Amino acid sequence: MTATAGMPVAWLVARAAGLVAFGLLTVSVWLGLAMSTRLLSPRRQKTLLGWHQTLVWTAVGMFALHGVALMLDPTLGFRFLAVLVPGAAPWRPFAVAAGVTAGWLVLTLAVSFHVRRRIGQKRWRLFHYATFGAFALALGHGLTAGSDLRGTTGLVAAALALGPVLWLTFARILMPRTMARPAPASGPAPPTRPAAETRPLVHA
Amino acid sequence: MRGVWATLISVWALFAILAVLAWTRQPSGSSQQAPTTVIVKGKNGVSQLVTVPSTSATHATTRTSPVPVG
Repeated sequence: MTATAGMPVAWLVARAAGLVAFGLLTVSVWLGLAMSTRLLSPRRQKTLLGWHQTLVWTAVGMFALHGVALMLDPTLGFRFLAVLVPGAAPWRPFAVAAGVTAGWLVLTLAVSFHVRRRIGQKRWRLFHYATFGAFALALGHGLTAGSDLRGTTGLVAAALALGPVLWLTFARILMPRTMARPAPASGPAPPTRPAAETRPLVHA
Repeated sequence: MRGVWATLISVWALFAILAVLAWTRQPSGSSQQAPTTVIVKGKNGVSQLVTVPSTSATHATTRTSPVPVG
């Protein structure tokens, strides 16, 4: 997998997997924020949450492929530890460390979905704020370590990825947390619950 | 089922980006026509650099003679 007819296959796979992983992470963050702001239909929260989790796990898979391909590339010569430990890479240590840390954060966030009941909603939500850090680190890694997001292309890609994240974050901060529930067609009105209980689940 | 769809789309995206990256790595035609510098050793033993200009004209292929009839 090192080279086919002079083509550095491992290097190309590493770049492509990195770009796909970042794309999946970006869409997952958009989805999570859109769910938390209830811009998407609240009726489909369960389906959207499923997609949110699936996209994160697929991004983890692409991160893994990105790392394995980098280890197989003969030019960079990344060792096992260089891909797993932040700062251990000999080439652009800070930029690579950002990517490694982002990868570990995304993996931990993906696992956290499955231990949500065990750790409690409050702790899970607090930890889920790390998504912003993971996204920022991944973006920084792509802009500084990657060879595809340089110059104008990088700025355009960053704006496309970051724009909706910023917009949805501000929307979430500014929009009221409780949305008016549709009145039932018949029967007595349900008892009013305290505001703290009617807060929607925060996903990002 | 969601996982299958997400994996399929991701793999297709991976292959598409791979194809673009591989395509953009192809050597361009202009680089092959760049002038070449060679070291030429003269009769007196002195070596000198000679720049050979590229030939833009393509080589003509020879045509086979027609098969004689009869």
